[in-house]
Order: sequence, then structure tokens, then C-alpha cells
Amino acid sequence: MSESTPPHVPESSGQIGVDQWVAQADERRERPAGLRGLVATGWEKLPPAGKLALLSPAIVIPFLPFVSEGNLFNYGLFILIYALLGLGLNVVVGFAGLLDLGYVAFFGFGAYTYAFLSGTHESKGHIYTHHWPAQWSILTAVLVCAVLGLFLGSSSRRLLGDYLAIVTLFFGQAFVVLTNAANPYGITNGSNGLANVAPLEFFGHLSINSTRGYYWFLLGCVAFVLIVLYCISESRTGRAWKASREDPLAAEMMGMPVNRLKIMAFSLGAAIAGLAGSVFAAAQTGAFPQNFGTQVLILIYAVVILGGTGSLTGMIVGAIAIIASNQVLDSTSPPNVARVLFYAALIATIFFTMRSSWPRMATAFVGTAAFGFAVHAFADAVWARGTAGEATSGGFLSGAIRHWVLLPAHPGRLAVYGYLLMVVAVITLVQLKGWWRLAVLVPTLYLTAFVWENLLVLQPAVTRYVLFGALLIAVMTIRPQGLFGTAKVEIV
Amino acid sequence: MNLGGLVVALAVWTLYAVYLSPTHGWTFFFQLTVNGIILGSVYALIALGYSMVYGILKLLNFAHGDVYMIGAFIGFGVLTLLGGPLNPAIPVVLLIACMFAIAMIGAGLLGLAIERFAYRPLRNAPRIAPLISALGVAFFLENSALLLFGSQFRDYDGFDLVSYNGIHLGGDSGVFIQYLGVIVIVGAFILMLGLIGLVQWTRLGKAMRAVSFDREAAAMMGIDPDRVIAATFFIGSALAGAAGVMFGLLFSQIYHLMGFLAGLKGFTAAVVGGIGSIPGAMLGGLLVGLVESWARGYLNGNVSDLVVFGVLIGVMLLRPSGLLGTPALQKV
Amino acid sequence: MATRLLELKGVSKAFGGLQVISNLDFHVDENEIVSVIGPNGAGKTTLFNLVTGVYTPDRGEIMFEGESIVGLPPNRITRKGVARTFQTLRLFLNMTVKENVMAAAYGHTRAGVLRSVLRTPGMRREEREIGKLAEEKLAFFGQRLMGYRWNQPAYSLSYANRRRLEIARAMATNARLLLLDEPAAGMNPVETREITELIGKLRDELGYTIFVIEHDMHLVEGISDRVVALDHGIRIAEGSFDEVATDPSVVEAYLGLRAKEEPG
Repeated sequence: MSESTPPHVPESSGQIGVDQWVAQADERRERPAGLRGLVATGWEKLPPAGKLALLSPAIVIPFLPFVSEGNLFNYGLFILIYALLGLGLNVVVGFAGLLDLGYVAFFGFGAYTYAFLSGTHESKGHIYTHHWPAQWSILTAVLVCAVLGLFLGSSSRRLLGDYLAIVTLFFGQAFVVLTNAANPYGITNGSNGLANVAPLEFFGHLSINSTRGYYWFLLGCVAFVLIVLYCISESRTGRAWKASREDPLAAEMMGMPVNRLKIMAFSLGAAIAGLAGSVFAAAQTGAFPQNFGTQVLILIYAVVILGGTGSLTGMIVGAIAIIASNQVLDSTSPPNVARVLFYAALIATIFFTMRSSWPRMATAFVGTAAFGFAVHAFADAVWARGTAGEATSGGFLSGAIRHWVLLPAHPGRLAVYGYLLMVVAVITLVQLKGWWRLAVLVPTLYLTAFVWENLLVLQPAVTRYVLFGALLIAVMTIRPQGLFGTAKVEIV
Repeated sequence: MNLGGLVVALAVWTLYAVYLSPTHGWTFFFQLTVNGIILGSVYALIALGYSMVYGILKLLNFAHGDVYMIGAFIGFGVLTLLGGPLNPAIPVVLLIACMFAIAMIGAGLLGLAIERFAYRPLRNAPRIAPLISALGVAFFLENSALLLFGSQFRDYDGFDLVSYNGIHLGGDSGVFIQYLGVIVIVGAFILMLGLIGLVQWTRLGKAMRAVSFDREAAAMMGIDPDRVIAATFFIGSALAGAAGVMFGLLFSQIYHLMGFLAGLKGFTAAVVGGIGSIPGAMLGGLLVGLVESWARGYLNGNVSDLVVFGVLIGVMLLRPSGLLGTPALQKV
Repeated sequence: MATRLLELKGVSKAFGGLQVISNLDFHVDENEIVSVIGPNGAGKTTLFNLVTGVYTPDRGEIMFEGESIVGLPPNRITRKGVARTFQTLRLFLNMTVKENVMAAAYGHTRAGVLRSVLRTPGMRREEREIGKLAEEKLAFFGQRLMGYRWNQPAYSLSYANRRRLEIARAMATNARLLLLDEPAAGMNPVETREITELIGKLRDELGYTIFVIEHDMHLVEGISDRVVALDHGIRIAEGSFDEVATDPSVVEAYLGLRAKEEPG
């Protein structure tokens, strides 16, 4: 610095208060008070390994002897498979920032490749018996998916983000056509799918036959993939993915081959889906077209979005939350668990929407209960048919429900109108504030209970997809980073 | 590839189909072409909604196909309420007009609600957020329809309602155009003319063009972008609702998943024509309808969707801005 | 004569009907600081975009170190040694300051996915080197981007610091030629003076060749070995700052026709 620049800039401008002010920003940042704040800060400070350790009970529980084989299959295996799928999709959506709506097709290709190579089937006059050992068929399935990912990813070379979404959606559709309708040379056995698939058998003697065995094996796969992805995300490639998600053009100008990186992400994600698919096919000893439809795609997206795009631990938590609720709402599960969860959610809604003011919260509780009994009493007096029905397999809650919720003998159209009204009421509710919100909340909650008891509980399998659809919207509008993601700043 | 290339490709294809293909002959070709144009009118209406919303928000509205599905159901509801196809309570012309009007208004309102609830809160979110929200809306609508209406096919019985007859061109063995098809083509034509008029000559149309060009600048010029976007959603969804009724009249397969493929094809049409361009969406719709119809006739019905998909990929690779779109320049 | 680092021969570029650059001959010598000035819309940023490969020229040749770089994808051009900053800042906002710089080392580092997963010694050594490189580049800006700032996300930086970070990021690509697009835009006079000195140091101490677009005439005057004035894609003047600043056609381009009426 010379004499010619009179207003001399001090080299160490660190002394000027401004910078310390910035340096201590974290200490000044407002934390949620009390227990919630403590938990939030504690969680943030935990290293990734610690986070996983805290989550491990959820992983260990299935090993306890009281968990039945069926539950272990329905919950344990599915949670792990979706955790794998979530981790793979997370590479594409979370790391590279690409929307892949054909992801489920890779899951399917993996399963079909394994089933084709390790099983027996006959179709259109062709007989296929390969019975490859598992290590080769899994490897092939993973490679096939990786190559397909390369192929699909390279179509993204010239496509803007949104177009890619549609091309991948078509790719998923092409898979459905291929397996369901086209069945070239009897390879896919059409809509019947491939049954008679051999369970995992490595190198001729190391075979897995029990659900518990598959659970262990999948747990190993998840841990392996988790470590691999963690290592990659902390490497040169991980940084380049992040950079090209943030600003593809700037990344390209800084020497990163953005297209190659995108294709790589696609391929890696697809390979993980292929792994998940082949283990899935082995565990259920078959691969059927209906295993790989749009519903599955939405489930995987729900896992990734709820868990938080870009977060690895989030995928595990997301898979546990989504798959557990998916299985609870399965039509084969007893409806009581779902019912308990539903009323718990109803109470949680009051807490959540009224958390700013205790009096309102209390009013909401009392009001909702009173409103229900009042409506019920009124209906009893003027419209006997409205309370003539029975709660569907009510269990220990059935008594309370009978006296609170309107249960018409044949709900029929009434339930349909109730549903439509409920959707309108929820949309209205979101727009309102203060006491108005409270005033609408009470009847809305009651209406929700009415719709639940008369319509939703009868078709839990459909209900869950409605809920997952709503979940995607809700997470995006309320907390786009999901449970474990970090909030992103985007300057448009 | 440009319009000239398109004309050449169509001419070559026509010659092949008429003279060389296994099922050659003019009648077969023209019959498929007519069917394609009818189908294409439906796709064009869907594509218009896609294209308008994309033009103004740069958002792929995945839920658009499901708005179309809901439109078809509303049309069915109106038809049932007014006595059904066999003994309608009011004159048939009036009944069809009612179906269109109510389905369009209903679908339009649904579009408004979707925009307000699922997209508006995400106006300044990362690009991927509204896409995922749109996916959620699509899934929500599909499964709500399944919940409320069940999984069986509903049938307008359009032939009972209108007529089994039609126009014969070139004698009894010639090309046959049902009256239903005529209604669809004429209806689509009127709606498109109305839309062009609206966009070109009304204040709202000007505001829409301004907002799609530069939302912030338009806001500074006193245009309320939220209202313009809402209006765009209303109009686009209403067109989808009309398309739903048309599909119901023609094909009698109303069910909760009908919106998925139709939405994809509508989108394909919008991209082929040049997304954001209104004449492009119409041209694209016609092309997709024709390609699908030809693929069904000359190839195998199962693969017609894949052929449409191939066309989409081809256009995206050869001419990413579509036939009538303007290439987007990357600003640095 | 000094070696030619960058050379453009007869380069033209049109968008639609608009000729943005027409038949431009131009060169930057090794270890030189060249400024491009010109009114808005003169084609300055387009010139940068042509050199870095965002656009390909309609006609003409662009040579870097004697090799043609026309038609190469931008990341290849960067690896050959041309890096740039952006007029409208384009940082990786949600990455930390240090990560921003580390990411730019991608082009000249090797460790692939497999080695990253296996954490081979070579890969870990490379990671350490990348880290050191980033710290070194950031240290160039004094205390501004040091210490706790390393781990702050880029979006928390002030405007001037973002400009500095962009330069650090471009340096980390190991480029020999830096293209700076309005490095002083949005800075106050003190900061402008500081960045002027820094650009001088970039050349004198670190040996970079610098090609800069700038509207701030104090900066241009302070650093330029040579100034090129563009208008409507045509070079209207070239030479030292004083020569160009007094050139009648430059004055005309900036101020309109009045200059012609005056003698001199």
C-alpha cells in the first residue's frame, strides 16, 4: 500500500467490530428454548456415526425374538430395501439435483435381471433356466442397471432439468410396457411376472433362506452403501456434484465436466437400485410387474423428501417412517393400529396448529370433543339413521367412537361428500389465522374423523397413497429440506 | 429439423404407408389419419394447458393430466344427474353444452385450488420443489378419485347419447367419421380460437404475455402476477376439463388412472410443438395424435406409447425448442 | 515480442439477426493485463463467453497457447488454463467458502470414485493438497476470506467478498489466464482501489495473465498495459489507457455525436 491511496485499508480488518459480529453469528442465533432446543443443538453437533448409533435401536429391534417372521418381512426387509432405494435416489436428486421419475424402473430392471438369471420360467415357447450363482446375477443386475443409467443419463446431455423429468417418466413407462404387455421372446413372462426365483446362494454353498438371514444381508448392503456414499460425498466427486447442483454453468466454467458428472450420478443411483431390486427379487422369490409401479416411485420419493434430500441419515429415518406407516395402512394389517395413529395425528394437529397459545389449544381440545358430542346428540334426535352404524373393527376405541363420530348405517355418498368438504375445509384452514382458524379447525377435525371412520378406514391401501401425495405437498411447502436436510438458499 | 423437414418426413411416411406397408392403401391410411386428428384435438387441448402454465411459471404441472381426469368425471356426473345417455332430461345439445361448461368450470376451480395451495407457496423455492409438489398433487388426485369413485371404468355411452352414425367419405367402404368425432374437432377448434383471441386481444392476454416474459418487470408495471398466474391456471385447467369430456364422449373409459398417460402425451405434444407456444401446442397435439393413431394401425397397439415416446426423444434431441418454439438463449 | 497467450482471428458471432461480434482480431500476450471497455451492449461479455466456450463463434479462430480452442466444451477450455469470473456473481451459494475454492480444483486432480471410496493414501494426499491450495488462494485476499470464514456458506458473504471469492475460485483451477468480468462492479471506492492493487499483484507476484472487462475507469487506468475499446462488436481503438481514453471514436461511442463537432 502506498501513499497514493490515502484512506488506508487495514490489512487485518478482523479488528473492526463488523467481522466479530459475523464470527459470533452462531452464538447469537435464536435457538428454540427448552428441551426442543437442546435436542436440536445436540443432534446438529453429533457426528454422522453418532447419529446412526442413536438410530440403531430401530435397526436392532427386529432381531429381538418376539418379532414374528411376517412382521420382520413386512417391516424390517421393506424398510431396508427402501432405505437402499432412498440412498440411491438421493444420489440423483440430492447430490446432483436431477429429478429422475423413472427411478423405479431401475429397481425393476434389477429385480427382473436377477430373477431371469437365477430362476426358471417358460413363456411363449421359450424355456429359460439359468440358475446362476447369486454373486454373478447380482453383479450382472447391478451392472445392467448402471449401464441403463448411463444410457438414460446421457439423454440428459442436452435436456434442461424439467425435460429430463419427463424423459425419465417415459422411461419408467417403457419398463411397464416391456414387462406387462410386450414380453419380447417371453423374457419377462408378461403380466404373470417371474416366479420360481432361487433365493440367494453365493459360491454354491453360502445360501440365505430365512427372512432373518435376508435382514442381516440387507443390513450389510445398507451399511456398505452408506459408507460408500459418505466417502464419495466427502471427495472431489462429491464436491463437484454439489457444485453442479448449485450452478451447472459456473461448475462447467470451473473445469467440472457437468454432463459426465450427471451421468455418473444417474448411473450410480441406478446401480444401487439394481442391488436393491435383485435382493428384493431373491427375498420374495419372484419379480412381478405390479412391484414396480408408480406407487413404489412415490414411496421412494416420500422417503427421500421426508428424510431430506442430500442427507444420508435422513434416508434411513425416512424409510423407517414411510414404510412403517405404509405397512400399518396395508389392507392386511389390523385397522386398530392405523386408527390409534390417526387419532394421535388428530391430536398432534391441534398441538401443531395452536402451539402459539395455550388457551386456544385448550379451547380446541375441549371444543372438538364437545362439538362431536353435540353433533352426535343432535343427529340422534332428528336423524336416527345417522348414528345407526358400527365402527369398523373398532377394538378398544369402538365405544368412544360410537358416541362421538356419526356412523350412518350406509355412508355411501355421504362419505364422498364428506371427503370433498374435508379437502375444501383443509385448504380454507391453511389460509386462516387466529380465532378464525380455531373456529374452522374444530369442525374440520370432526369432519376428518367422520371421513376416516366412514371411508378411509375401509380402504387403508388407497388412503395411504392419498396421504403420501399430501405429504409430498406438505413437506415441500412447510419444510422443503425435509427432516434432516439443510435449508438451502437460492437466489433467483 | 424444422417445418420443412416435418413436411418432407410426413410426405415420405405417407408414401410408405400407402404404397409399401403390409396394410397399404389410401382408405386405411385416411381412416387412421382422421382418427388421429380427432385424438390429436384432445391432446392439443391438454397440451395448451401444459404449455400456458410452463410459459408463465416455467413449471411442469404433472397434475395437469389428473385435472383432465377429474374433468371427465365431472362430465360423467353431470350426465348421470341429468338422466343419463338413454333418456336425458334436457335436449341432447343442451346436455352436452352443460357437460362441457360444468366440467370446464369445475376443472378450472380445481386448477385454481392446486395453484393456490401447492404451487404459490413455492414461488421462490428451488426449482425442484414445485416439481415434487406437483408429483404429490398428481398422486393425491389419482388416489382420491380411486377412493371416491372406485376402480371400475365409467362409460359416457356417447354413441347412445348422440348417434352411432357419421359421415362416410368415398362410399360405404371409405373413410368413416363419427358425428362424435365431428363434435370433438369442432369443439376443440372453437376453444382454441377463443384462447388465441383471449391471449392476443384482451387485457388479460396482454398481462399473461407480459408475466411470462418477465414476471418482476410486469409486477413493476402494475400487473399483479399472482392474479395472472391464477387466471392462467384456471384457463389451462378448464381446457383440460373440456378435453376430459371429449375423451369421455369418444372412448368411454373414464377411470382414475386415465390422466397419467394422457398427461404425458399432452406434455409430449407441448414439447414437440415448442413449449410456451400456443400454436405450437396445437400442432404438437395433432402430430402426437396422428403418430399414435398410425402406430396403432401399422404397428402393434402395445408399442404405440413407446413410438410417441420415441418421437418426443427425437424432437428433444434434434430441436430442443420444439417445432414452433424459439430457442432459449443461455444468459451468463 | 512477447508470446501470444490468447489470440482471436476474425471472430464473428450473431444472435438471430444481431451481429454482436464482427470480424474481431485480438490478442493477449503472456503476463499482460488487457482491459476491454465499451458501452453496454458492445459485446464485451459475449467476447468472454466465446473465449470460455459458452458460445461457439460463427466464424474465426480462437487460439490459446497456439492451439485452437474453438468447439471445446467449457470445462476442457478451463483445464487448458482459462478461468473466469462472472459479472452476475455465480458462486456455489450453499457450499462453504473453502469448498467453493476446493471444487474448482476438480480439473487438475485425479482421484476417482473408486479411490475415494477406498480412501487410498494417494487420494488422501490429494485431498490435503486441494485443501492447502484453497487456503493458499484464499490467503491472497488478506484477512478477508480467512479463519472462520472458511466454513461459512458462500451466501453469507458480503458482495465485495463474493467478488473476491470468485477470483480465488478461478485461481484454484490452475489457470494461466484469468478473465475478470467487471471485478469492481458494486464495490465502493475503497474496495475498488483494493481490488485494483490485487489485480496488479496477481500479475506481478503470481504471474497470471489478466484479461478484464471493466466500467470503472480508475481501475482500468490503474492496471492496464493495454486497453481495447469495443462498440457494436467492432474494435474501435486500442493502445495505452491515455491513447484510448482520448480517442475520438471512443468518446463518441460513450457520449454520442457531440464529440465529432469539437476539434481535437
